[in-house]
Amino acid sequence: MSRKLLAALMFVAVGVLKLPLEERVAAYEREVHLMEKPLSLDLREQLGQEAFAASLGGLRSLVASITYLQAYVAFENVDWGKVDSLMTLTTRLQPREETYWDEAAWHMAYNAASYEQNYSKDRPALRNIHFHDYALRGVAILEEGLHFLPKSYKFYSRLGEIYRDRLGEPRKASEAFLKAYALGAKDFYERMGAYEMVKLSDRPSWEHAYQILMKHYRSGVPTASMLRDIPVLEQRLGIPPEKRIKPALQIPPALRARIKVPGAGQ
Amino acid sequence: MSENQIIVHTHSSFSPLRIWTLATNTVTQLLRMKILAFLVAFSFIAIAAGFAFPAMSPEQQLKLLKDVSFGALQVFSIVMAVAATALLLPRDLEDRTLYTILSKPVPRYEYLIGKLLGVILLLGGSLLVMDIIFSLVVWLKQTLILSGTLAELEHAHKNTPENIAAVSAEVQRFGLTASLHAGVFAVFLKASVIAALSLLISCLASSTLFTIIVGFAFVIAGHGEQLARDYFFHRQFPGVWEKILSGVLAVACPDLTLFDLVEPAIRGEIITATALGMASGVAALYITGYMAVSYLLFVEKEL
Repeated sequence: MSRKLLAALMFVAVGVLKLPLEERVAAYEREVHLMEKPLSLDLREQLGQEAFAASLGGLRSLVASITYLQAYVAFENVDWGKVDSLMTLTTRLQPREETYWDEAAWHMAYNAASYEQNYSKDRPALRNIHFHDYALRGVAILEEGLHFLPKSYKFYSRLGEIYRDRLGEPRKASEAFLKAYALGAKDFYERMGAYEMVKLSDRPSWEHAYQILMKHYRSGVPTASMLRDIPVLEQRLGIPPEKRIKPALQIPPALRARIKVPGAGQ
Repeated sequence: MSENQIIVHTHSSFSPLRIWTLATNTVTQLLRMKILAFLVAFSFIAIAAGFAFPAMSPEQQLKLLKDVSFGALQVFSIVMAVAATALLLPRDLEDRTLYTILSKPVPRYEYLIGKLLGVILLLGGSLLVMDIIFSLVVWLKQTLILSGTLAELEHAHKNTPENIAAVSAEVQRFGLTASLHAGVFAVFLKASVIAALSLLISCLASSTLFTIIVGFAFVIAGHGEQLARDYFFHRQFPGVWEKILSGVLAVACPDLTLFDLVEPAIRGEIITATALGMASGVAALYITGYMAVSYLLFVEKEL
């Protein structure tokens, strides 16, 4: 047998022998989070994502940083289309980098939406449509990010903020805030969820909000927003007077003047 | 010494000393080719990246510094592994040093091992220097960021021990950690495997250019090997050709993504000793296998 044939056979033998070892090392690296797990996306999306990453030969992180910087320059030039496409590219390159998704959504739902509403030369009706579209784009970015990082409380808290501040959807906002809290966000977000539920018109939401706010009221120093919303809920839910809180005793006079108690049924 | 005494020189078939001599000569040979000029370029890139993005958040500033520096480090190590190895055999043939060496009782496998060891020594030495420069810049940057943030806290009268501890922990997490050195070591392992593969290609090739082009093709395919392996073992295809192609790719290429520990290192995650040990073991398997194949090709090569 010629040595060249032997060399070819040995090359194939090494190639076959290495496969189970590679599988084992890759499995270990995935287990200790040093390597990304296969993404639960459809085949086409996954093929594109993995082939794209492979084509960069281990320089994904560097290329993502470059596209992120380009997006920052586009943001300074208020070129929102370019910001969106470059941030999409950045998130595609590093889909498990939480900051990139969050910042991409913030650019769209806050910067681009506000710019359209405040500085666009379009007619007011169009400005409002564009504002709404950009806010929805922010939501879409975060929902896409949740495919990659389903346990990110940062994404849910940002979603809650967009639904609350940009889209005026208290039900979705409360769901997002409560989900963020359930995933490990600070207590603050549970209260945020309750404040949003106070804005709804169904009794189960009020009961849920009351339960949350009373829990926080009993466990620490009540905040101004709690002292604003708990009496409203007590009134709506028909809580007996002896069980109601005494907010007036706890609110400093300077703060009391600034608190507006919304009416029931809002 | 009497005239009747016979001096017997024993010649061992494997001599670590001969290999070491060949390796150190290879290092000298490569240094004369001014192959380390990129170290100066790396220093400039690391320092520039360290002070280029002051408008970003501290976390982003440190991430960008590490991204840029690791990117430069990886590019330089891969280019050096392919190019330096591709140059070795043709240069020795051109200078006729190959004939001088092989006319002596030096087995061809010792020559190959010595050459590869020389390249690995050079890669290791230069990555060590780059790691030191990189670490210095990261440490300097994190110190500046930390002192700036602490000054801001003091200015805002919020410099409580809890706040100071939280800020310090956050900056240190994204700053200089042991994982960064582990990341550099993983880059070294990857570059060593690429060097061994390039040497194998060089034993087959008739020109330096061929070795460099095919070497880089393997580097790119090696980063997609896991994808090919995954498709071969775990996915159903409508056709058999895709299956065959993915199988061929999986067998022919090393899985270079196993050494991609840079991204978790940049994110501040801990790279375990077991992970490094496993990566080292895989690298040793690749290098040993490729060297054995290289020897079988080189032993028949007409010089």
